[in-house]
Amino acid sequence: MARKKTSGNAEMNERTDIKTPVSEMIRKFKRQKNAVVALFFIIFLVIIALVGEYLVPYGINEYDYSAILQGPSMAHWFGTDEFGRDLFSRIVCGTRISLAVGLSAVTVGAICGTVLGLLGGYYGGFVDSVIMRICDTLFAFPGIILAIAIVAILGSGLGNVVIAVAVFSTPTFARLVRSRTLALKHSVFVQAARNLGASDARILFRHILPGAVPEIIVQFTMSVGSSILTASSLSFLGMGAQPPTPEWGLLLSNGRNYMLTSLHATLFPGLAIFLTVLSFNILGDGLRDALDPKLTD
Amino acid sequence: MLRYTIKRVLGMIPTLIIVVTFVFFFVRLIPGDPARLVAGEQATLQDVEAVRERLGLNQPIYIQYIKYILGLLQGDLGTSLRTSRPVLTEVASRYWNTMALTIASLIWSTIVGVILGVWSGKNRGKWQDFTGMTLAVSGISLPNFWIGFLLIMLFSVKLRWFPTTGAGSWRNLVLPAITLGTSIAAIIARFTRSSIVEVMKEDYIRTARAKGLKEKTVIWAHAFRNSMISVVTVVGLQFGFLLGGSVVTEAVFAYPGLGQLLIESVNYRDYPAIQSLILIFSLQFIVINLIVDILYAALNPEIKLS
Repeated sequence: MARKKTSGNAEMNERTDIKTPVSEMIRKFKRQKNAVVALFFIIFLVIIALVGEYLVPYGINEYDYSAILQGPSMAHWFGTDEFGRDLFSRIVCGTRISLAVGLSAVTVGAICGTVLGLLGGYYGGFVDSVIMRICDTLFAFPGIILAIAIVAILGSGLGNVVIAVAVFSTPTFARLVRSRTLALKHSVFVQAARNLGASDARILFRHILPGAVPEIIVQFTMSVGSSILTASSLSFLGMGAQPPTPEWGLLLSNGRNYMLTSLHATLFPGLAIFLTVLSFNILGDGLRDALDPKLTD
Repeated sequence: MLRYTIKRVLGMIPTLIIVVTFVFFFVRLIPGDPARLVAGEQATLQDVEAVRERLGLNQPIYIQYIKYILGLLQGDLGTSLRTSRPVLTEVASRYWNTMALTIASLIWSTIVGVILGVWSGKNRGKWQDFTGMTLAVSGISLPNFWIGFLLIMLFSVKLRWFPTTGAGSWRNLVLPAITLGTSIAAIIARFTRSSIVEVMKEDYIRTARAKGLKEKTVIWAHAFRNSMISVVTVVGLQFGFLLGGSVVTEAVFAYPGLGQLLIESVNYRDYPAIQSLILIFSLQFIVINLIVDILYAALNPEIKLS
């Protein structure tokens, strides 16, 4: 009986000791306290994005002409805008827009970039040269300039901002995944899979891709922060969200007309962007450190 | 070195050709008839045809392309629809404003970034490191249009030290340069820190300390000098990003530079101007990256130039 128990324990230890790149990363990540706090803040933001709309005291387009451009008070925590709309409610509801734009743009960019990187790295030759040449060209435009060019072609609007941001985040992922693919394609386990008759698709997605996942996660997190910044910059320039959408960059741009009398109209939307981007950047830093073999143990 | 430089310059040509081609097709990617867009919604069919004739849009696409390239080689960037003046004239009058803003931003952000990075790196794991890196991660997370507004509120409206908008004197440059340089200072600080942290592990630092040198000498004459290479690369690359990043800052301060010209052109749908500005921004970016690459190779004796 006792013997059985010990062997059971040993088996369990063995199981917990299996180190996959992802489990290693999680273990090291837990030691980064700042990053864990940032992660919880992001989870909080996601919850707000999902249910905030039902919790806010005022509707996002609830006009109140008797309370125009009021400063923060008990009735309006962040004050009101030029139509008497409650800024707190609008900023809370804007969380969904900023997160959705950042996450969807980077997800599209990450998927396209990953597929391109896998194909280029694995097949090499002509396919690789074409893919890398496209990436070089996209890298030849400073990020926001490329986004403005794309929006100028497609027209302004949040959907086109998502496309623009997705396009310029694609090459970063493509390069990253390509270099991992190059490193992994000659490894023993890929060789073994090939000898067992695995198809190229199976080798790429079941054997090589998991090895690139930690790097993709780090890059993803970092990119979400900068994408939210870019998207809000475009809205600020009048090329993204259009009124009366409560997008943070647009709220800030709106607030600047009343900057001299009502600082709160620019202060709070900016603070919302700052804290959101900051938490993604801190999370990204923590994940990167958790991944860096030089910084461990 | 010369061979490496020539190789890198030649290697740039395919990218240049693709960029120019992209910019050429840019106008043609816009849904709808470009001649109709240029002539305006109210134009008659004859007007549209006249515009098509004038812009050469009735010719086969490859002739248009060759003409565009030949025009570019002679410095012809087309005519602005908004002002009816050559785009080159529009660009030239604003180019140095953007350049001045970029250089001013780069100078202060390099100084502050390096000092903050060295301060954090030499005190790795202590409160100085924590403070420095918290400032740096905040710096890269701040929306620069927001910093701009807060600076205007404090220094222009409350204290009346600097003008809110315009260009021309150094006082116009201060607030936009702070706004534009903040994130760059933060990036430089992060790179300098990690580079110093790496260098501090080296044997020659231990030797320098064992010789009894002052800590200041160890840091600045030994550690910092050796971490310079990676710092120079980052500073160079940021220069390219600054030129592009000026768009938002110029919009905040109504600063008459290339970025503001781009925004005005997009709002007016002035396609020849947008086309040329995108080309100029990316050409600058490519050339700066090339110079940084060559500088890096020249500075780093470990790089094999073959």
